[in-house]
Amino acid sequence: MSMQNPLARVRGKGSSGGGAHHWRSQRYSAMILMLSTAWVLWVGVSLAGADYATASATMSSPVNAGMVILMAGAVFYHVQLGLQVVIEDYVHIAALEFLLLIFVRFACLVAFLISAIAALKLVLGA
Amino acid sequence: MSASKRPMSPYMLGPYYKFQITSVLSILNRLTGVFMSVITAPLLLCWLVALASGQEAYVALSAWLGGGLGKLVIAASVFSFSFHLFGGIRHLIWDAGWMMEMPQVHASGWLAIIGSVLLSLIVLGAGL
Repeated sequence: MSMQNPLARVRGKGSSGGGAHHWRSQRYSAMILMLSTAWVLWVGVSLAGADYATASATMSSPVNAGMVILMAGAVFYHVQLGLQVVIEDYVHIAALEFLLLIFVRFACLVAFLISAIAALKLVLGA
Repeated sequence: MSASKRPMSPYMLGPYYKFQITSVLSILNRLTGVFMSVITAPLLLCWLVALASGQEAYVALSAWLGGGLGKLVIAASVFSFSFHLFGGIRHLIWDAGWMMEMPQVHASGWLAIIGSVLLSLIVLGAGL
């Protein structure tokens, strides 16, 4: 049973019923980020100013590569959710808003794929 | 009433509301998030791709990161990360229903400011 006024549903002005999903996803990805960024930051600081051999050797460890891929997934998911809200709040031209939302989703997906492939290439030594 | 004619509430940082820590930290959390989305995350991606591409690309990117603009971007990224981290922790605490009285909100706001400055200095100090 819905608490929504049937007229509001027909006019498309009620809640979509999916509001909590975005909110939950943002929080869960934030929690994953708190853990994975702490770890990657630790490794990152140790690699500040490191030469190519040291950096590539560090990134060839499966644990490091796994954490980088986990973080990349959480980062670009969180980025997509966050930028979506910013665009929805401030862009009031419907067509531009739609295009930007599609672009952000697409860019985040591509960015994650590139991160994962680069991390895999480093760990597999291809 | 069509969507475009609906009344809008005045923006929180405009002339209609008092300038206060709650609204300033709220917009700063958003700005640091956007900054990391547009600058920091793509930069990390570039670093990973450069490392995977080989020595030449990695050396070129390292040289840029060691320059003035590179250092500025790194410093801004580290501060944005620290601030957004503490801002996010505040949100998670509120989501649990805790610390929602105004004095607590002000206290956690100042803690977030102090904490993010300290964490930035520690990370930047350790990386030097």
